[in-house]
Amino acid sequence: MLEVILSALILLGALFTFIGSLGLARLEDFYTRLHGPTKATTLGVGSLLIASMVYFSTRGEGLSLHELLVTLFLFITAPVSAHLLAKAALHLRLRSLAVVPPRAEASAPQQANRDAPSDETVQR
Amino acid sequence: MLECCDPINASHSQRLIMNLTLVVLVPFLGAALTGWVSRYGRLRSAWMAGAVTALALACLLPSLPVPFTGEPLIQRLPWMPGLGLDLVFRLDGLGLLFAMMILGIGLLVIIYARYYLDADDCMGRFYAYLLLFMGSMLGIVLAENLILLLMFWELTSLSSFLLISYWRHRQDARQGARMALTVTGLGGLALLGGFLLLGEIAGSYELSVILASGEAIRAHPLYSPMLVLVLLGAFTKSAQFPFHFWLPRAMAAPTPVSAYLHSATMVKAGIFLLARLFPALSGTPLWSVLVMSAGLATLLIGAWIALFKHDLKGLLAYSTVSHLGLITLLFGIGTPLAAVAGVFHIINHATFKASLFMAAGIIDHECGTRDMRRINGLWHFMPYTATLAMVASASMAGVPLFNGFLSKEMFFAEAANFFDLSTWSWVLPVTVVIASALAVAYSLRFIHDVFFNGEPHDLQRTPHEPPHWMKVPVEILVAICLLVGIFPGFTVEPLLAVAADSVLQCNSPAHDLAIWHGFNSAFAMSVIALLGGLLIYAARRPLFMIAARHEGLIDAGVLFGRTQQAVIGAARAVTTAFDTGSLQRLVALLLIGALGLGAVGLLGVSAPLTGTATLVPADGISLIVALGLGAGAIATTVLHRQRFTALIVVGVLGLLIALIFAKFSAPDLALTQLSVEVVTIVLLLLALYFLPQHTPAESSRVRRVRDLGLAAIAGLGTTALAWGILTRPGATISGYFLDNSVPGGGGSNVVNVILVDFRGFDTLGEITVLALAGLGIYAMLKGLRLPGMTLDPSGRPWNWDLHPTIMAALTRLLLPLALLVSAFIFLRGHNQPGGGFIAGLITAVALIMQYLTNGVEWTHRRLHGNMHPVIASGLLVGTLTGMASFVFGHPFLTSTFSHVHWPLVGDFELASAMAFDLGVYLVVVGSTLLILIHLGLMRSAATQERD
Repeated sequence: MLEVILSALILLGALFTFIGSLGLARLEDFYTRLHGPTKATTLGVGSLLIASMVYFSTRGEGLSLHELLVTLFLFITAPVSAHLLAKAALHLRLRSLAVVPPRAEASAPQQANRDAPSDETVQR
Repeated sequence: MLECCDPINASHSQRLIMNLTLVVLVPFLGAALTGWVSRYGRLRSAWMAGAVTALALACLLPSLPVPFTGEPLIQRLPWMPGLGLDLVFRLDGLGLLFAMMILGIGLLVIIYARYYLDADDCMGRFYAYLLLFMGSMLGIVLAENLILLLMFWELTSLSSFLLISYWRHRQDARQGARMALTVTGLGGLALLGGFLLLGEIAGSYELSVILASGEAIRAHPLYSPMLVLVLLGAFTKSAQFPFHFWLPRAMAAPTPVSAYLHSATMVKAGIFLLARLFPALSGTPLWSVLVMSAGLATLLIGAWIALFKHDLKGLLAYSTVSHLGLITLLFGIGTPLAAVAGVFHIINHATFKASLFMAAGIIDHECGTRDMRRINGLWHFMPYTATLAMVASASMAGVPLFNGFLSKEMFFAEAANFFDLSTWSWVLPVTVVIASALAVAYSLRFIHDVFFNGEPHDLQRTPHEPPHWMKVPVEILVAICLLVGIFPGFTVEPLLAVAADSVLQCNSPAHDLAIWHGFNSAFAMSVIALLGGLLIYAARRPLFMIAARHEGLIDAGVLFGRTQQAVIGAARAVTTAFDTGSLQRLVALLLIGALGLGAVGLLGVSAPLTGTATLVPADGISLIVALGLGAGAIATTVLHRQRFTALIVVGVLGLLIALIFAKFSAPDLALTQLSVEVVTIVLLLLALYFLPQHTPAESSRVRRVRDLGLAAIAGLGTTALAWGILTRPGATISGYFLDNSVPGGGGSNVVNVILVDFRGFDTLGEITVLALAGLGIYAMLKGLRLPGMTLDPSGRPWNWDLHPTIMAALTRLLLPLALLVSAFIFLRGHNQPGGGFIAGLITAVALIMQYLTNGVEWTHRRLHGNMHPVIASGLLVGTLTGMASFVFGHPFLTSTFSHVHWPLVGDFELASAMAFDLGVYLVVVGSTLLILIHLGLMRSAATQERD
């Protein structure tokens, strides 16, 4: 019974990861392609992690909670990278299926600098 | 000549008290304290320096009676017993005499300098240097071991360099200091060679042995080269002709320094060495020829030049040269009585020359110049100082009733005795009388020109008597001149006798320190010298004209400068021939050199490339990773024009290497590699911001083909070497570490135990290097302003949204988690993969993330950006942990450990190595952040400038 559940979870995870990868390869423009990997990280890796948790917790060595931490770190890092990628794409005005809104920052650099003149940073 | 001597039994009397070591060490420790105390008021450093000197003197006092018993006091403290080098000090008559002079005159100079130095001269620095020098000098005169003596000898060269260049804004001071350092440093090198030969000849580096085996040393075939080398050391230090030229140029130092270095200490070190090794080295024709000729030439030339110097200190400098020649000559004559006279003149010269330098300093201080053509008739302005200076110069001239007369009389007697010995022997007494007449003349000039001879010319201020306490040191010294000169038997006789005993290593011959010896040859010579001096001074005008015409004709200093320029030029030519500033060229040269040497080494070797070890079958993962590495390396090369892309590929390569480490069960290395990789890439990205985004194509096709070929051959060669070595079975030391890690270091993570325990000393060195590298980069970046970019390579404007909200918010959330991981990695380091280094890098990455996402200002409001205390405390923790094992009587960095049970956490290990690891952690965090923050600040400075 346990093996069936585990197999199902792993297969589910593999499926979502595959779909994510396929999307990354096949989708039309950058913005839609961005969705592919996010599916893979959330649903795909999520299923695999649950499988891992179930497997290690049922081996009689106590509850396995490492996976929760992995999930936490994924939840923190995935949105950041997706957000930065999208921002970069917008900034570079990549080709989009949808109509890209007019560049908000076209006149913004000077204004932004004036707004936050002391906003020092080490960002590259 | 030495038949009268019955050797004093040089016994190794061991005492429990280590006061001699303290005498030497107190000034060194006091120097640091004095420098520090000057932060709280400049006069405090003067008080502190005086107190330190008094303390050193107090440490010497308990042993004061020992030399008078006729046996040297020897105190030994094990230092490097494996090398046969101990901190062993010796107090005999000679050492006592010198130690008293160094400390006594040192104390007077400290009092004097407190009034001499201007308000804008840093007093703490001055006194710290002075005490350093004092400690080094004491080390020379008290050392029992030749190697120890040499170390202090070199320390005097270094500290005198600091003292002479004290006014570092003045070019002549810097040049004079450099010349003094070069000449005495070269002499020190020769001396090292001489000492090594001497030690090998005598079979020991201890003076007790060497002094007792004079016969064997003089009979040894290596005696001559050894003697020449030792004398080179002594002559350069004591400014003997032809090495005398550095001394007058060292007069650019503040006058207290001159008074100290050139009367009682620095230049007397060479004389001291002659006296110290006198029983072992003297008594051969070679000794007589070398030492006497150098002494005689110095005596005459110094006296001649001194007469024509218009600079007050120049006159004194050359007279010092001349008097040093006199003492050298006495030791060269080599009779026991001459040695007694030499020791006596050491005392007398120190007293009158120190007081004369101080008087010259007062005059310089009051008049603002030292030119004797402008300073005249000072008698009316400072009669008291004038009287003191006149007494001292009378002593210098050898006028009866002053101490200089007594030693000069003995000197004349020895010179006259020498007359009977050989056919050319008349040269010596005649030259000696001429030089003494010159000495009388220049002493007369000093008095007459400065204090009488009309009125002063265009002085900036009206001179007057100096502050009372500035005169006190001069008064004391002049009083000694007089007391010794009038009552020699009561004052100086005991000290002189015991010092002479230890110079001769036997009871010194009977000598009579009376003022009146009757009408003998010495008295006649004295009278001739005095009258001759008066005559020479009377005829000074034509002599001055002759001298002015030939000025600078014989100046070894010019020759020295020319040689120095030639050497520097040659060095520069060699450097520029190899280093044209092109990195490619340097790498190409390095590779060609390595290939050439490798080819030569492997030429004719017939061993098979593959060794006998059984090969492990290659598995799929390793193959894939290896192929990935190869592809990555090629991709980096191909993409190197697009710097950003190439950097990303380099990052991928680093991660692949981490995978390899993990695969071959080196999780520690994998973790380290991972964290190093992250930090490196961030650092490179920050630096890349200021560089062009594309590398222009600069190399020609031919060159690229050449470089490709070179790289290919080098790569293939390295591969072949690695293959050859890895396929050969060989014993490694890893077995030892694996066996001893748990019982010896108390940790099951062998890598960490090696780092913090077995090889802890290496690690301490490495973190010191890391700290220095961090500080070095900080020093280079500090204040550097570079333009940042506003457009990317395709001409698109830089994104204005510097801190995307999502990232900023989530990174803040990540910080405690990352710090937790770092603490976890640190704590488990001793037994499982982890440790201070990795933990430090993780902390650094976690913090740098805050800087990247939230900005420097935001971060600095919450976290102090000053990383210097962090680095310093890391080094301190590491060193103190190492030193803590001294307390328990173990060698440096011996670790101890025990197991502790913590509730909740469980059993875990507490090793002293963990404290050491904490030091590593702090240094890594501090250095990494220091570099990264300042690379980033450069960017923000650029941004601000643009605004």
